[in-house]
Amino acid sequence: MIVVCRLDDVPDGGAIGALPNARGRDTLVLLRRGDQVLGYVNNCPHYDRAPLGWRKDEFLNGDGTRIMCAAHGALFRIEDGVCEVGPCLGQALTAVALTIRDGHVCLADGSALLS
Amino acid sequence: MRIIGPDELIFGVDNIQACRDFLKDYGLIETAPDCFEALDRTAIILRETGDASLPPPLPTATRLRETVWGVEDQATLEAISGELSRDREVRTEASGRLSTVDDAGFRIAFQVTRRIKLDLAAERINSPGASPGRAANEIGANEDAEARPRTLSHIVYFVPDMDRMANFYIQRLGFVITDKFTNTGPFLRPQANDDHHVLFMIQTPDYMQGLEHLAFHMQGPTELMLAGSRMVKKGYQSFWGPGRHKFGSNWFWYFNSPMGTHVEYDADMDKHDGDWVMRETPMSKEAAQMFLFENVAKWAPGGPPPGKG
Repeated sequence: MIVVCRLDDVPDGGAIGALPNARGRDTLVLLRRGDQVLGYVNNCPHYDRAPLGWRKDEFLNGDGTRIMCAAHGALFRIEDGVCEVGPCLGQALTAVALTIRDGHVCLADGSALLS
Repeated sequence: MRIIGPDELIFGVDNIQACRDFLKDYGLIETAPDCFEALDRTAIILRETGDASLPPPLPTATRLRETVWGVEDQATLEAISGELSRDREVRTEASGRLSTVDDAGFRIAFQVTRRIKLDLAAERINSPGASPGRAANEIGANEDAEARPRTLSHIVYFVPDMDRMANFYIQRLGFVITDKFTNTGPFLRPQANDDHHVLFMIQTPDYMQGLEHLAFHMQGPTELMLAGSRMVKKGYQSFWGPGRHKFGSNWFWYFNSPMGTHVEYDADMDKHDGDWVMRETPMSKEAAQMFLFENVAKWAPGGPPPGKG
């Protein structure tokens, strides 16, 4: 069980980056909607080394309804990570399975980031 | 056709405050509301997505709405108008700017350039055997030095048909190819600019059409690294660099941006004239970078859709 952060660290309706790698680059994007937290690998599927955000914890479009790739502007649905427009049309962000335990966001067993 | 290079890039965005913050932190100066200028007055213009003054968007993800090319004089504008009016509508705006569309469907405009002539020092270095670049006791590593983009250097488009696109700029507007990545695209230089490229293109599926990146020239490699390091310290997302390209020889450092395009600092690009003989090579990481301080396996997408190659 890997604890990622406290649930309260993720603003409701917002997004944060988490689990920085050795270079300090966040590997996980967390999105919170009420008590639900969704996680995606911080990489745009249109190529293999394309972090999504433009600044620490900045991952969303203007009205906060889509995840935006700040490389070329692709937009992804928050609920399932599917790309609606952009260079990775028809592809999806890689979901990371999470569980909430005692007010903490944890990587679930078998999570994409554990493999 | 005495075209100099990109004068203005106009974006329609849904996150305008984030874009303002980014462009200021990048080093551009807001000289009019949502007009962010380099030292020679070349500029990025921001507008809200639904702004009625904007040309229509492409159906893709790109937020670039118009590329404005600077030309030397009115005679060049008239020549461009005469040439392009043969097969498309060319509108003359009240400002005298010409507005039309290129063969890939990008909205383009032409104006007598807004650039002012710069008279600034190059980066000064000390090198054994050469006269010192700096006086005794003059420090090279100045963390407090100002680092301002000097001029809008080049743009790179994703295009569905690189040959058709390149031929438009070559045959209709007088650009020349300086170098080429086979099956990816050519580096293009217009007649009134000796920089290695002001326009490059990458062939992609049509749903990717848009702006891959824009770049401004910095004083030199030291200023480029200073500016890029400041962006990293402010939490901005580095994408690729710092390093040095082979074609063009320019130093580079690319960042993600809230405009949904990569934004590059570049420095010390090669200059060419009509005696230059074009080079060509397949694109690869070895061909694109002479050296890099953070290595990457791949620097741009391209080719057919997944599963169809």
